[in-house]
Amino acid sequence: MAGSGTAHLRPRDEVLLQVENLYVEFPAGRGRTVRAVSGVSFDLAKGETLGIVGESGCGKSSTARALIQLPRPRAGSVRLDGLDLTSLRGEALRRVRRRLQMIFQDPISSLNPRRRVREIVEEGPKVWGRGALDVDEVLEAVGLDPATAAVRRPHEFSGGQCQRVSIARALVLEPEVVICDEPVSALDVSVQAQILALLEDLKERYRLTLVFIAHDLAVVKNVSDRILVMYLGKTCELAPSEDLIARPAHPYTKALLAAIPGSGLDLPPADRLISGEPPSPVDPPSGCRFRTRCPRAAERCAREEPEIRPVNGGDHYVACHFPDL
Amino acid sequence: MRRRFGAGFWIATAWISLVVAAAALADLLPIPGYDETLVGPPRSGPSAEHPFGTDGLGRDVFSRVVHGARVSLGVGIGAVVLGLGLGAPLGVLAGYRKGFADAVIMAVNDIALAFPSLVFALAVVAFAGASLRNVLIVLGVLGIPAWVRLIRGATLSFAEREFVLAARVLGVRDRRILWRDIMPNVAVPAASYAFIGMAVVIVAEGSLAFLGLSVQAPTPTWGGLINEGRTLMETAPHVVLAPSIVMFLTVLSFNLVGDRLRALTDVRQSGLEPARQSAPLPAGPGAEPVTGALLQVDDLRTHIHTPRGTVKAVDGVSFTLERGRTLAIVGESGSGKSMLIRTILGLLPAADVSRGGHVRLEGDDLTRFTPEEMRQVLGRRLGTVFQDPMTALNPVRTIGTQVTEPLRVHLGMSRKRAREEAARLLASVGIPDPARTLGRYPHQLSGGMRQRVTIAMALSCGPDVLFADEPTTALDVTIQDQVLRLIHRLREERDMAVVLVSHDLSVVRQWADEVIVMYAGKVVEHGPAEQVFARPRMPYTEALLQAAPRLTDPSHHRLRVIPGRPPDLADVPPGCPFRPRCAYAQDRCGAEAPPLTGDHDHLYACWHPTGSAVAGAPEGAESHGR
Ligand SMILES: Nc1ncnc2c1ncn2[C@@H]1O[C@H](COP(=O)(O)OP(=O)(O)OP(=O)(O)O)[C@@H](O)[C@H]1O
Ligand code: SF4
Ligand code: SF4
Ligand SMILES: [Mg+2]
Repeated sequence: MAGSGTAHLRPRDEVLLQVENLYVEFPAGRGRTVRAVSGVSFDLAKGETLGIVGESGCGKSSTARALIQLPRPRAGSVRLDGLDLTSLRGEALRRVRRRLQMIFQDPISSLNPRRRVREIVEEGPKVWGRGALDVDEVLEAVGLDPATAAVRRPHEFSGGQCQRVSIARALVLEPEVVICDEPVSALDVSVQAQILALLEDLKERYRLTLVFIAHDLAVVKNVSDRILVMYLGKTCELAPSEDLIARPAHPYTKALLAAIPGSGLDLPPADRLISGEPPSPVDPPSGCRFRTRCPRAAERCAREEPEIRPVNGGDHYVACHFPDL
Repeated sequence: MRRRFGAGFWIATAWISLVVAAAALADLLPIPGYDETLVGPPRSGPSAEHPFGTDGLGRDVFSRVVHGARVSLGVGIGAVVLGLGLGAPLGVLAGYRKGFADAVIMAVNDIALAFPSLVFALAVVAFAGASLRNVLIVLGVLGIPAWVRLIRGATLSFAEREFVLAARVLGVRDRRILWRDIMPNVAVPAASYAFIGMAVVIVAEGSLAFLGLSVQAPTPTWGGLINEGRTLMETAPHVVLAPSIVMFLTVLSFNLVGDRLRALTDVRQSGLEPARQSAPLPAGPGAEPVTGALLQVDDLRTHIHTPRGTVKAVDGVSFTLERGRTLAIVGESGSGKSMLIRTILGLLPAADVSRGGHVRLEGDDLTRFTPEEMRQVLGRRLGTVFQDPMTALNPVRTIGTQVTEPLRVHLGMSRKRAREEAARLLASVGIPDPARTLGRYPHQLSGGMRQRVTIAMALSCGPDVLFADEPTTALDVTIQDQVLRLIHRLREERDMAVVLVSHDLSVVRQWADEVIVMYAGKVVEHGPAEQVFARPRMPYTEALLQAAPRLTDPSHHRLRVIPGRPPDLADVPPGCPFRPRCAYAQDRCGAEAPPLTGDHDHLYACWHPTGSAVAGAPEGAESHGR
């Protein structure tokens, strides 16, 4: 079956996390199905940051949640150090979850409004007993005052500070992989810069491996080593950050870049690279899912789904019949 | 609970406490026994000795009402505890587990809810015997389905919140999540409903007692007392009135307390109403109207009086705008951008606001307009587009009705002509198949299409100025591009002016001719867009530009971090508001507020302006794609 392919995956023993042919689906009522993620694969080496970009509804968050098995993907595997999380149940799964932590988009709603900030960060160590970092040390590492955190509740903090609390909560368990789902999208530019700088520092200090999801390509480029572009549940392109921005090969990546106002890149106006609106994931187009908006679409695109393949030599991969090389 | 409840809440709470205390201490109170006959002359009216008078057998009505409260409150509290005790676990189970458990519980629940409950209660009590226990059990059990539904709803809404997900990611066990993350949040709505539930049960018990189907004589109950008193309505109305009034007040109090508690959980939005009586602030040095200017804003100020102090949301903003130009207002959240727009449009929360300054539209001073005149101006001469198109559109009316309304109201078009014009407008904002779209509802359109509809509505009467407050913040970048392109095109076609509010510097960089940078309610820099971006003079503008990541920068490039955060607008430090975060600050900055000055049309408020060009400003960005 034509999936998006796995040509871009590296040997299993070289990577920490490997995601293969991930499918996430949700019931949409009246017997229909939302095909949120359809055959996405990627991997992360230890210490690497992978950025995932795409527009709303393209399956970024569904992918993130499938990694931590909340909810479980319909098909595919998620291997952490060779251990397939999708085969785990109950207690075994609970135990492995602490190795993967997550930071969410909405800094306010991801904290329980009725608990004090310190209690929120302490929850992990309480549940797991020994083997966690010192709570005060982590609070200080994310730039919060432990004394204040002991008495205040989330609504007494600003959005940026709440996001620091979320980061502390994730870090205190010493996870190997941290999945950041739009961690700065709700923040102002100056606070965004503070959080991005903090993430880079912490990554160094705690030797983290990051999955960084965002819709803003400039933000993703700033933190990522490699970038995965998604469209309507499929992989379009995967490349080292600099390469992806400098030489986008997939028509959708180009459109995405061109749509960024004042990007300073030499690209035609976005309205010549993309038209219309994304189709419904309940009833995605046949063949290439981007074909309804793609200026290059040809008859083959409707018939046959493009397989991911290497281009430009090296580690640049694209899933398109007619890439721009 | 620092939120204000209002006097009604406290009076109601006091009344409930009084009734509860009286019922609990009934035996200790210095009053005659409830069944002692002839403690006074029968059917005598209220007196010092018998505050509620006596009944047909000469019993003290006050004592009977107080003892009756025991039954009414006992049944009320007991039935609610029973219903909650059984209903809450089922509701939590259904809401948290979802899936099969939910389906079964809710199916049974829906059947139970469809039962004619009072008839059922009558039948059961008539069959099993009228006793306090039976009444309590029947009323308690009948309440269960409503409890299940309520608790399930509340649980569902919290179970989907990210903090619950976060707890599961941490590996917290379900039992602990339910106990620590869900229960405390469900407790508030449950408590509010418990009060309302008690009121319902007290009325139900009263009805049963009135029919003689509750606790039997001689034990008094409120409903029973009213029943007994019926025959004396003409000679001694107080026998009926006393228990009726007490019951009425008690039920009212329970409802009121429940309502106020529920309001605690509601998130209210501040209303957008034309301001009624906003007190004027002392006028500044009034600038003369500039002839030829389309829109002239002059020393505009909006101060909101809050319990924390006076929030200076807009503090002395001036600008002029010509036709065919776009003015962008940038700043971080809380800098007063939206407040500025609302002040110009006269859309302010009605209470506790003082505003000052002038807004002139082609010479007419809008700040002198009555709300009715302002409504005319808003429909016809000033168009508005807001961040969330859903709040601008009425979800239960078709697009057609909403787009034709301004045409019919302001331009007096016939229904048929308005529909044709609406279709034409929708086509002009790039909506495919406009005729069919007119018959659809807002939720049937995508976010981008909805925003196009609100733009079409804003343009329907051919406004002179279009105000767009974060029009694309909720949209995807490719859709954002389409919408901004559209606004730009329409500006050219219609020779309008555009005021674009945005927190996104790159949007402003591409689409604005002129920029105002706001910080803490004040304009800190104002000038032509290219100049402000290429050569910012105010340190805040410079820092903001360097804090935003850019595609042309290498990966892992260190962004400029501005320490701290913007000041609380109720407590802005003296001198320059940016001083605590400014790398260039010196003594003078803390003592004196810098005025907005500069050369030609580039103004900045800073004692020590920066002179350096920002490294690597992308060339050709301004003209890109136009
Ligand atoms: N109804 C109100 N009562 C009291 N303060 C208010 C009210 N509305 C706004 N404010 C305050 O006014 C200031 C400016 O708010 P405004 O909404 O204009 O900011 P903004 O720059 O538009 O922010 P954002 O980008 O988040 O929309 C803030 O400090 C805000 O808390
Ligand atoms: S496969 Fe065809 S439709 Fe899809 S992106 Fe490539 S050219 Fe466009
Ligand atoms: S006036 Fe002083 S504190 Fe304010 S921006 Fe200028 S240098 Fe900084
Ligand atoms: Mg705003």
